[in-house]
Amino acid sequence: MAGRVIHGPALGWFAGAWRWLVTAPLLLLACCQHRDRIIVGSKNFTESDLLGEIVAQQIERRTGLRAERRFHLGGTFVCHQAITSGQIDLYVEYTGTAYTAVLKLPLLKEPDSLRRTVATEYARRFDLVWGTPFGFNNSFAILVRRADAERHGLRRISQLASLAPRWHAGFGYEFLERADGFPGLARLYGLRFAAPPTAMDLGLTYRALADGKVDVIAGNSTDGQVAALGLVALDDDRGYFPPYQAAPVVRARTLAAHPTLGAVLNELGGRISDTEMRRLNALADVEHRDIATVARTWLADHVP
Amino acid sequence: MALWGFYARNLDEVLHLVGQHLYLVTVSTALAIVLGLPLGVLLTRRPAWRTPVLGLANVLQTIPSLALFGFLIPLPFIGGIGATTAIVALVVYALLPIVRNTYTGIAAVDPAVREAARGMGMTDWQLLTQVELPLGGAVILAGVRVATVVSVGTATIAAAIGAGGLGVYIFRGVAVVDDTLILAGALPAALMALAADGLFGLAERRFTWRAG
Amino acid sequence: MTQPLEVDGLGYVLADRGAGAAGRGRVIVQDVSFAVGPGETLVLLGRSGSGKTTILKLINRLLEPTAGTVRVAGERTAELPVTRLRRRIGYVIQEVGLFPHFTVARNVGLVPRLEEWDEIRIAARVRELLTLVGLNPDSFATRYPHELSGGQRQRVGVARALAAGPPLLLLDEPFGALDPITRVELQREFQALQRRLGQAMVFVTHDVREGLLLGTRIGVMHAGRLVFVGTPEQFRASEHPECRAFLEAA
Repeated sequence: MAGRVIHGPALGWFAGAWRWLVTAPLLLLACCQHRDRIIVGSKNFTESDLLGEIVAQQIERRTGLRAERRFHLGGTFVCHQAITSGQIDLYVEYTGTAYTAVLKLPLLKEPDSLRRTVATEYARRFDLVWGTPFGFNNSFAILVRRADAERHGLRRISQLASLAPRWHAGFGYEFLERADGFPGLARLYGLRFAAPPTAMDLGLTYRALADGKVDVIAGNSTDGQVAALGLVALDDDRGYFPPYQAAPVVRARTLAAHPTLGAVLNELGGRISDTEMRRLNALADVEHRDIATVARTWLADHVP
Repeated sequence: MALWGFYARNLDEVLHLVGQHLYLVTVSTALAIVLGLPLGVLLTRRPAWRTPVLGLANVLQTIPSLALFGFLIPLPFIGGIGATTAIVALVVYALLPIVRNTYTGIAAVDPAVREAARGMGMTDWQLLTQVELPLGGAVILAGVRVATVVSVGTATIAAAIGAGGLGVYIFRGVAVVDDTLILAGALPAALMALAADGLFGLAERRFTWRAG
Repeated sequence: MTQPLEVDGLGYVLADRGAGAAGRGRVIVQDVSFAVGPGETLVLLGRSGSGKTTILKLINRLLEPTAGTVRVAGERTAELPVTRLRRRIGYVIQEVGLFPHFTVARNVGLVPRLEEWDEIRIAARVRELLTLVGLNPDSFATRYPHELSGGQRQRVGVARALAAGPPLLLLDEPFGALDPITRVELQREFQALQRRLGQAMVFVTHDVREGLLLGTRIGVMHAGRLVFVGTPEQFRASEHPECRAFLEAA
């Protein structure tokens, strides 16, 4: 080829042909592969990873399909983006989150009507199907240190209003941005902190609270670390937070391609109580057990 | 464009975050200079130390920033969430370019100039301040320039550990998949990096001497 | 009257890296003794590696002697703080080593400024010296080294070495890097300078003709030893093989 230069249209054709030659087999491969594997996603916190792993293992043990895990993706919105664009086939979502943050509907209290609305809207708008909830409610928990709770007799969030001007809050990025997150909470309870809340990675908020760097955080009611770190959850006395029931959300197309998938997932329905979820979370977060092992043990014991 | 609207509505917050970002970058760069410049000078006086010191700085440089933040958080005094930890990490990253460039800038001084200076009776300090630093100034400043530009970028990650700065917008934007938010943080950071690059580039020119 | 320079039994052994306390190293200079009187120019002639440049560095302690004593203007150099010693010795090297970021005036005034003379005195001295080396102060004082030719730079180098009026001047092949025409020109002017100043100096060169032209006495270095010291006439008449070798090569 020395000395010869390919010009103009010839170059275009050559480049196009070459590109096709390289990508076609890859596309073919991807297509075929996608049919006998399910891509399971999860959000960026332990409970989501745990539930994702339970779902993935359930799929593998009950069907012949391979479950590909894409865990710790990011928050709610990243997972939503991923599932609607087909990059993942399913992930575990919470009804309250779907209702207020994704669908952006005004607050509804009753858990069952909330769930029905969410299921209907998800099917209509996104072609996504909601499975049976696992059986627990994981709400946001406004957490303070036990010493502070005892000193000020703190039991309810509404009691924070008087303390807030002297306190610092720390929240994860998603909680700060969500409609059912900090802005609405501050408005309803009249919370005015000394400075705007410190924003940080969600996982760090527990340590920040325990170390005294901040005085109040928004954790999850089923988190395993609450007891271990000596933290107290305050009661949502004005009922700000909607119910958050966890359930698998699957692409309709995936269900159609794998008819047994729906029943397999629903077999997990109603099997995990609040206490049970907290226990599983503690195994992973406090005792640092391997998530896959925790999931496998739980499935063997509870879904034989 | 949505971005200008965002800036207009949130001007106070934007300025606050820009200020925090500048704080992180300037404090860490200043500390890195205070630590790195003498260390670089020391390497020119003790050549045996060169390989271990530069080697260590090189290794530190390769640690991914989020991982370094993670390592530092549990430590007492310099750890915990917030600006202090971020600044420590930023100093670590700024050290290599500054130490290495100080060394090469000074080492590159014409040996004849150095011999003449010593032969005429300049003390080591006079040699350093009147000859080596001015003549090596351009290279040293280039090291500071690189360190600063890198710091502006790395400082955006500091938002993950609660240190504030423009990374707050970026992380918020990533969490809710909002491009405007991401851009709102990334754009000023990029401009800041460009400005630092340009300003130090100008300063370097003042220290460029035609070869004798 | 004290001699500007007295060298007695000077030696320099380069420590061998594995030698240990027994100190078996490379002998660079061995048992060299000579003196330079007021107004005298001692030329040190020798091949490359003969140790002549090392002698200069042992005098101003850029290298520390391992044996012998050196006295400058009566004081033992080993007992003087090294920077103080060097400011009392003018030093001119082949590559000149002017500071590229200083003007000619600032280069020349370097040692006076280190010695904290007042600015007016420094300015006057700079003018005086530039004129002495044949450079018009009005046009050259504010120039930078990169604007000068090789010959002009070395003139500045000489002026710089003389600035603080030192009792002794050391020159290490000062004209070696110049083209032959400039070299001859500078040699002649240097000769005139010598007569005017009456400065004691040690002038190292490997060029016999330069040595015979400029030296009041010639010293010949060979393999680290001083094998001959004498007047130019004595040098020409000498039977010593090294002297003959130089004369034949001239």
